Amino acid sequence: MGSWRNHVRARLQQRDQTEKLPYVGVFTSLSQLEERFEIRKQILDDVQSKSLERGGVEVGKNTRLLQLQLRESEHLAEKLSQTVSDLTTVLYLKEAELQHWQSRVSQYRQEALTLAKGSKTLKATLSDIEFTLECQSKELAALRAEQKGLKEALGQALREKEELLQRWMEEKREEADRMNKYNDTQERWHRWARQLKKHLHRETGKEYVPKVTSPWSDTTETSPSVIQRHPDHNKVSTVAKA
Amino acid sequence: MNTTEANALLIYVVYKRLQNIDQKKVSLSLDLGVCVWGIYSLCATGSRSSMADDKDVLRDVWFGRIPTCFTLNQDEVTEREAEPYYLLLPRVSYLTLVTDKVKKHFLKVMKAEDVEEMWFEYEGTPLKWHYPIGVLFDLHASNTVLPWSITVHFKNFPDRDLLHCPSNSVIEAHFMSSIKEADALKHKSQVVNDMQKKDHKQLWMGLQNDKFDQFWAMNRKLMEYPTEEGGFRYIPFRIYQAMSDRPFIQKLFRPVSPEGNAHTLGNLLKEMYPAAIPNDGEPKRYQVVIHGIEPLLETPLQWLSEHLSHPDNFLHICVIPTPTD
Repeated sequence: MGSWRNHVRARLQQRDQTEKLPYVGVFTSLSQLEERFEIRKQILDDVQSKSLERGGVEVGKNTRLLQLQLRESEHLAEKLSQTVSDLTTVLYLKEAELQHWQSRVSQYRQEALTLAKGSKTLKATLSDIEFTLECQSKELAALRAEQKGLKEALGQALREKEELLQRWMEEKREEADRMNKYNDTQERWHRWARQLKKHLHRETGKEYVPKVTSPWSDTTETSPSVIQRHPDHNKVSTVAKA
Repeated sequence: MNTTEANALLIYVVYKRLQNIDQKKVSLSLDLGVCVWGIYSLCATGSRSSMADDKDVLRDVWFGRIPTCFTLNQDEVTEREAEPYYLLLPRVSYLTLVTDKVKKHFLKVMKAEDVEEMWFEYEGTPLKWHYPIGVLFDLHASNTVLPWSITVHFKNFPDRDLLHCPSNSVIEAHFMSSIKEADALKHKSQVVNDMQKKDHKQLWMGLQNDKFDQFWAMNRKLMEYPTEEGGFRYIPFRIYQAMSDRPFIQKLFRPVSPEGNAHTLGNLLKEMYPAAIPNDGEPKRYQVVIHGIEPLLETPLQWLSEHLSHPDNFLHICVIPTPTD
């Protein structure tokens, strides 16, 4: 950042080394000499005009010199008083500038204090928020762990439910198979009973009731179906016991 | 005694003066004096701070001088031969403001009836009095031997080339007009409009009497800007070209880009006068001169405007052909 600033400063100084410093002494001296020459010329003119007023009596050389010195002193005094006046003005300006910068310093100090207070407050708030964040993070971690446990339990429950369902389905399937078997058996039994009845009917002419052996009890019993002869010989009804 | 020490001594004198005047102020001034001496000590012990360097730049700019030899035009009618007149011209001032002694010197050898409005010329080019002296020198005579030789005329005023300047009030009006134009660009005229008439007068008197402190006591207000803005609204600048019919280039240009980057001198020239920046490998054809120096192209434009502007608050930039020797 400073290189361009240093460059400008260095170049300005170099410029003055070339354009101003070699000439300032000579030009200033020349200007002062011209000024003194003008003053002396004016004094000489004044003195000569005064001597002419007095009827041409020449004024002594010493008097002229004294007058010249007096006028030069007056001129110097005037210049010095002007310098004093300028310096006084500069003093007043510097004083005003000092007051201005003092007020700016005071203002910036106030701003700095306010900012420091604000910074302190913000730091405290930040600390509180960090603490709260930490607590909430811990709470979150605990809740997540709990959630994980619950998920696992849920998973386990679902698996058990699935297993139970499978088992129930299996049970039902087996029951259905048993029912089907039973029904098949029943159907076979009924079929067989019908066949027997047919056979009985075929033997209708016979008086005795055939004895039937139950496939379950292995006993011989009277056939549960009683073939009754209907007065109408063409109809045969079978009354089956339930 | 360097600048910092001089300022500190001045401040100490103020402090002592206050002590003599009013005892009540002593305690306040004592604190102030201690603070000031503390600051001085800090400045004196370490390397110069940037602020001190910047203040020195302001002083170097203000106190820049050009040694000049005024010679009466040979065609002027004189009672006797006119000796040349030598003068150190302030770069930041205007020709007609600082050449009263020149006029007085040459009038001594001329008849009153042969005298019209005085005007100046260099190698056949009439010198515009409403341009700062340093700009005229950099534009027309920067590569010539010093002292700068200017020819003085008292007749045949070139009305087509020069403005008339019958009195200092015309110079003052032009100067204040430039300041107001510059502030319109920098602050939408808010700062200059808030000043009182006496403040405007202080600016003018500071320039007229060559009083740096008096001038800058007021001009510093024109160099302030809101911190959040990062700089002025627009930079007041004029680019002069040595060989051109166009008087100068002046356009709107911000000190900061929309992205927030500080614009540099190089950015400005790239936008306004691309030919001034050589391409890679090409020889440098032009010099970009401000106050007789060539700042680096990476110099921030805002800093240049604050520290290298003329008293009229404009950054006057001269683009001149690079010398071939």
